[in-house]
Amino acid sequence: MTVTVRTENLWKTYGGGGPHQVDAVRDVTIEIERGEITAIGGPSGSGKTTLLSLVGLLTRPTKGKVLYGDQDFSGLSEVFRTRARRQRIGFIFQAQYLIPQLTAVENVALPMLCLDVPRSEAEKLAAIRLSSLGMNHRLDFRVAELSGGEQQRVSIARSLMNAPEILIADEPNASIDEKSAEELHFVLREMVERNKLTVLLASHDAQVLNWADRRLNMRDGNIVD
Amino acid sequence: MFKYRTRSVAILLALTFSTALLCSVEFIREGVVLDVEASLGEGPDLIVQKLIGGRQVLVPLDWVNNVSETSGIRLVTPRVWGYSDAGDGRLLTIMGVNATEYGTIFGAVGTDVLAGGRFIMENDTRRMVVGQGIVEMMAASGAAVTISVGSVLSLITYNGSLIEFVIVGVFSADSKIQSYDLIMTDISSARMVLGVDNSSCTDVAVWINYGSDLNGVAFQLDSSLSQARILTRDAMKNTMLRTYGGRAGVAALLWACVLVTVLLLVFTASSAGSEEARREVGLLKALGFDTVDILEIRTVESVTLGALGANFGISLAIVFDFILGAPLLAGYLLGWNLVLLNGGIPLAVSSATILTVLAAAIVPVMVATVVPSWRNAITEPDTVLRGV
Repeated sequence: MTVTVRTENLWKTYGGGGPHQVDAVRDVTIEIERGEITAIGGPSGSGKTTLLSLVGLLTRPTKGKVLYGDQDFSGLSEVFRTRARRQRIGFIFQAQYLIPQLTAVENVALPMLCLDVPRSEAEKLAAIRLSSLGMNHRLDFRVAELSGGEQQRVSIARSLMNAPEILIADEPNASIDEKSAEELHFVLREMVERNKLTVLLASHDAQVLNWADRRLNMRDGNIVD
Repeated sequence: MFKYRTRSVAILLALTFSTALLCSVEFIREGVVLDVEASLGEGPDLIVQKLIGGRQVLVPLDWVNNVSETSGIRLVTPRVWGYSDAGDGRLLTIMGVNATEYGTIFGAVGTDVLAGGRFIMENDTRRMVVGQGIVEMMAASGAAVTISVGSVLSLITYNGSLIEFVIVGVFSADSKIQSYDLIMTDISSARMVLGVDNSSCTDVAVWINYGSDLNGVAFQLDSSLSQARILTRDAMKNTMLRTYGGRAGVAALLWACVLVTVLLLVFTASSAGSEEARREVGLLKALGFDTVDILEIRTVESVTLGALGANFGISLAIVFDFILGAPLLAGYLLGWNLVLLNGGIPLAVSSATILTVLAAAIVPVMVATVVPSWRNAITEPDTVLRGV
């Protein structure tokens, strides 16, 4: 199997040496295989979200490496890290972070705009992506007018717009019902099998963890098994 | 920007109001300053008044000789002036001068008489020249009397009787205040209207020799006439502008308060103080937008908002001042002077004011928008999104 992303002795410490110092991630070394769904389980506060942020280049490690191929991104400038996020990584956030003033199509088109795709073209592609997720009747609705499950589909569509190598999903079923969660599973599995998409997700929900091809467990910032 | 309707409309309204207030005050201030400068340019170099107990009283005519003996002086002439009602309730300034002396001063107010008329002459009595503005004002008000060369205008005297004057000329003046307010006649006729005795005048107008030191001459006069108040052009300008300058300052202070409120509104809406705006920047960074992209979005947004607000404000001020006559504001700024401004308040729009207002509206709004966005954009997206 090909490795999409690898971490080496990764640490993330908050509180910078003071009395409130917390090691959110402690000496984590993992490999995420291409074309697999890898799930990280563990209780709240175990460091799952921080590990996803480190792999997703949203924050820098205190120590250790994050490697895409042979390139270590942990020490690179923000310009290179931003470019890598733009071209390689898709995100489904726990809180979704959709822009409420924009319509579903406009939200989904956002990642294309920073790839210099013209707005009209980006919105056309976004509409196709949303339609493939059964959202063709809600394209011009503002996200505040959509149900939780529909918002989650908008979030999924947005995460796939830049054709990422890896999709990072944090508690992807947090704001949706069981039926929507199953639909999400179906979409992710299809993307993995059809496009060899790599998925790294974190959840404390057994149902979501069961979607995974490979499962890791975290406790107190460590991978325990 | 257009997506955030409530926020944008609130900022736009506040900006429009604050710039309209500033512009209205500035248009009046500039208009009055220009008019005062124009009126002083057409007036004497020095005015000699007499004060007793701090009050201005009539000047004895023998002062004219005393003043004439001072070195550096070109012309001294007594003036009798005051206010008279032309019968329609408007107060007009009537000024009596020695026609022979006054008429020789190039550029003195009233001497630029339009074709078809003439300035008053030495032996004229009950003849007058009137400002062009008075002619226009009377015509616009639909007054029964047509004001033109040869027509007769009656003035109400100090004791309530009427004296008829024949108009011999209409003068043009750079100053709107003079043009819409001033009637010039011979000194004897002015005495009859205003009730001034033959041995006195209201003040003495002095023109100095070219190249003479104005302040030096004023100092000599002040030293030689113990009860005299000597007003130089600068002193007259200061006195005239002081009557409303402080009020303009209060209005400017009010404008500054409004602008600060606008900035706080913008800052709150766009800064780390706004959870929504902060998260939005974090999200855009997470999706791959560069810091430069985010700054560009925010700059375009704030410049558009600032420019729109400023232009609405300027347009509103133009309508308020030039069409509506600045109700309330003109009264506040000009105070009792408003009673004398028969032709309406003097107004002026300068490119400096427009540029200042545009800069004052756009730059602070841009800074209040862009700086917090920049701070969020250079912070790690994870920190911004999670608010840790």
